Amino acid sequence: MTEASKRFHFPSLEFRREPLTLFLLTGLAIILVAIVALFSRLYHAKLESLAEEWSSRGSADLDAHHYADAVVDYRTALLYDRDNDSYQLNLAEALIGHNGKDETDEAATYLINLWDRQPENGTVNLELARIAASKGQTDRAIRFYNNAIYAIWPGDQEQARHTVRLELIALLMRIHSTVQAQSELIALADNLGEDPPAQAHAAGLFYQTGDYEQALNEYRVSLRGEPHNADALAGAGQAAFKLNQFRLAHRYLRDAVFLRPTDKDSAQLLKLSNLVLQMDPFRQQIRAVDRERIVISDFAAAGNRLKSCTVTGVNSATATRQQSLQQSWNKLKPQVTGRGLRRNPDLINTAMSLVFQVERAGNDACGPGSDTDKALSLIANLHEGL
Amino acid sequence: MGTFSIFEAGPVAQQERTDSAVAASERSLGALWGSLFREDRFFLVLSVFIGIFSGLAVVCFRFTIDLCRIYLLGSGAQPSTLRLILAPTIAGLVIAVLVIHVFPLARGSGVNQTKAALFIYNGYIPLRTAMGKFITSALAIGSGHSLGPEDPSLQIGACLASALGRRMKLSRERMRLIAPVGAAAGLAAAFNAPISAILFVIEEVIGRWTAGILGSVVLSAVSSVVVMRWFLGNDALFRIPSVEMKHPSELLAYAVLGIVGGLASVVLAGGIKFARPRCKAFAPWTHYFQPALAGLLIGIIAAFGAPQVMGAGYEYMDQAIHGQFTWQFLAILAVLKIVATLLSFVSGTPGGIFAPVLFIGAMLGAAVGGVEHVLAPNLVGSPGTYALVGMGVLFAGFLRVPMTSVFMVLEVSQNYSIIVPVIVANTFAYVISRAMDDTAIFDVLTRQDGLELPSMEEQREESILRVEDAMRPPVKRVLETSDLSNWSARSGDQKAPDVMLVRLKPSGWSSVTRKEIESTGNEDPSGAKLADLLANRQIPYLHPDQPLDVALRYVDRWPLVPVVSRADFSKLEGVITQEGVLERYRDSNLE
Repeated sequence: MTEASKRFHFPSLEFRREPLTLFLLTGLAIILVAIVALFSRLYHAKLESLAEEWSSRGSADLDAHHYADAVVDYRTALLYDRDNDSYQLNLAEALIGHNGKDETDEAATYLINLWDRQPENGTVNLELARIAASKGQTDRAIRFYNNAIYAIWPGDQEQARHTVRLELIALLMRIHSTVQAQSELIALADNLGEDPPAQAHAAGLFYQTGDYEQALNEYRVSLRGEPHNADALAGAGQAAFKLNQFRLAHRYLRDAVFLRPTDKDSAQLLKLSNLVLQMDPFRQQIRAVDRERIVISDFAAAGNRLKSCTVTGVNSATATRQQSLQQSWNKLKPQVTGRGLRRNPDLINTAMSLVFQVERAGNDACGPGSDTDKALSLIANLHEGL
Repeated sequence: MGTFSIFEAGPVAQQERTDSAVAASERSLGALWGSLFREDRFFLVLSVFIGIFSGLAVVCFRFTIDLCRIYLLGSGAQPSTLRLILAPTIAGLVIAVLVIHVFPLARGSGVNQTKAALFIYNGYIPLRTAMGKFITSALAIGSGHSLGPEDPSLQIGACLASALGRRMKLSRERMRLIAPVGAAAGLAAAFNAPISAILFVIEEVIGRWTAGILGSVVLSAVSSVVVMRWFLGNDALFRIPSVEMKHPSELLAYAVLGIVGGLASVVLAGGIKFARPRCKAFAPWTHYFQPALAGLLIGIIAAFGAPQVMGAGYEYMDQAIHGQFTWQFLAILAVLKIVATLLSFVSGTPGGIFAPVLFIGAMLGAAVGGVEHVLAPNLVGSPGTYALVGMGVLFAGFLRVPMTSVFMVLEVSQNYSIIVPVIVANTFAYVISRAMDDTAIFDVLTRQDGLELPSMEEQREESILRVEDAMRPPVKRVLETSDLSNWSARSGDQKAPDVMLVRLKPSGWSSVTRKEIESTGNEDPSGAKLADLLANRQIPYLHPDQPLDVALRYVDRWPLVPVVSRADFSKLEGVITQEGVLERYRDSNLE
């Protein structure tokens, strides 16, 4: 042992007491922390198992549409794991399913909290959009629907976005926001790919928004993949009919009725389109004799229309108009014969013009009339515009 | 003293130099060592350990309460009717037996016991009290009694600190302060709110701000919160939705909330004042059944559709903040919680009053917000904000801790955007409660328990006597040193006062008696000797704004103490005498 080492001593007792105390306290703290950590682990494991237990009960109740029970289950699960996003979302869905006003408000609260944390979550945005839509907050609903369309979805993202967009379109159509609905439909149609039923559905939506041309195009695309889809054929026929493309409409409707004879609407439209094709004297590639015969027939039908739709009342403008048309018809009647039409081909236009006037006045005064009258009105629209 | 020398031995001269260096080194190391472990510094280190141990205890306490709830009331959010009624009743019986026979000091909330330790028992709280508080409170809260874990946590912290202090053989002065240090740690961990805990302990337990105690309280509170967050996470007690004030005029709506909250505080405090002594006065055998009866009644309330009133109820406060109840139901819950809390508290069931107060405040706030929203939808924002402000309102009105109430709301919400509404509403609640009820609830409880502890509220509001209150106008005879010769010449002037002040040059004051002037008059006609004497006999002076207590240090030694201006020390504002000081104290007692 060196002199130096002999002279090196530890602090005396009074100075050693506090460091020793600190050392002991530190040791005690470490031991206690370890014990509490063990207790904490057991405690959290217990809570976790309870949360999972109640969550699985909730999931079963949600699947069985027992929303009230699911609400209780998920509320309990959240007692043990209050920040679990999945539980909160499921609780919100259960609350929405339960469908009370208070429940919807509570669901909205949970969803807003979730949205704060996960603004990119598609389900959260969709549910918020639905709640806003149910409360009539359309701007808010549209914003959340748009968020949902571009959000992240679990599983098939495209399918989820497609579904959301369809809901958005339905909302836009409900609030008569036709232009926005049509633009969403165009986006929808662009992303459909080879999916004839979806294309037919989109075509139907185009039809509902009044965009018959797009509707017909979509139906055609759909029919390429599924030529024997009666719905698509009927839809295409109706769209073509609306576009006054009666020959095309006739073709689609004929196939539709053939495939589904119970489709009365299509059958009626088929009948009308058939009549239009038969009663239209201006259609191309028709013999002069046939044209004259059709004009005579249409003129006679107009006469019948005048007889069947008699408006009384001296001062009525409609009655005056009817009387005037009756006089014109009576005056022209002797000329509208095969010989008269051959001698004066311009008479065809004059006679048909009177026929169209009679049908329009008849529609205004007495409603659509017989199928023949409806067909003549359609021919009038086709050649003279609305 | 030990040495730490590492020098090699050498020639004699070098050895001497080395020895002296070593000695100096030893002295400096010893001084450093001594300074490091001086009791005041060691107390700071000890505060950190108090915080750690209190934090760990509070974490265990929270776990135990939750497990008690799970096993006694079941894991479901809606316990069966049988459990709702049986659990608090049977737990009440067990608690009564434990409190009467095993842990008699575990009764009550714990705040006053900590104050008693500070002011009466020199910081002594038996460790058994902490164990008793832990077990009985966990059982009570877990079984559904309408009580909270904060006040018991405060007492558990104080008990642990006291036990540690005794073990460390701290001086009596430190021992007195150690209980509040532990109390701050316990409360901070329970609330996850260190600032509020510090303020509460300063505002309600200690009652004064001193640098020495503040450091320890801060250290213990912060270290306990760190421990608590380690085990329970950093989340605030409540998840706060986005809060906003629609318009400055909305402050009127918050003022209405403050008024309603102030009235509710008076009702709750009045109920406790009325019922607690009566319950205590019942025959001793009834004490075995009082907690059980309270539990039974609370269970019946719960079974009739309001299980929210059971326990601390934090999850329901959270739901109120998120607007998940109608205002009608919120109002009913506030009333039922007042009833349930009164039942639990006056029956002597151990547990805290803080959480029920927060609950009542949240429900009342959200209800008032809801009503105001119906009446003025364009003026009033989300009812959730009102729930949050309502908590502070009840805290301010019932506990009468205005500063703590503001910071508590800010801390538990971790949201500072509502500070103005909180201050406005809390002020109204505090003023109304103070006007309608002279005595704060903690003072009432203390007196009901037969103790006389200082009232922090009265101390806060007590006017401090200052020097100017006892000061008399400047004496007629104030001498300059130049006057001494004249006075010496006229030493026979019988009209001169017995004692005179002398303004010294260039600064300072002294006093001289007539006798001294008379005795030196003949020998020292110029007064020069007397002037020299007085220059070496300066007396202290006071300023008018100083506390009168300061004057007591001087008036027994100097019959006349000058009171001078702070701006000009030679300007005499007045004089202080012992008689004047005592007279002023006598008058203030009569007032």
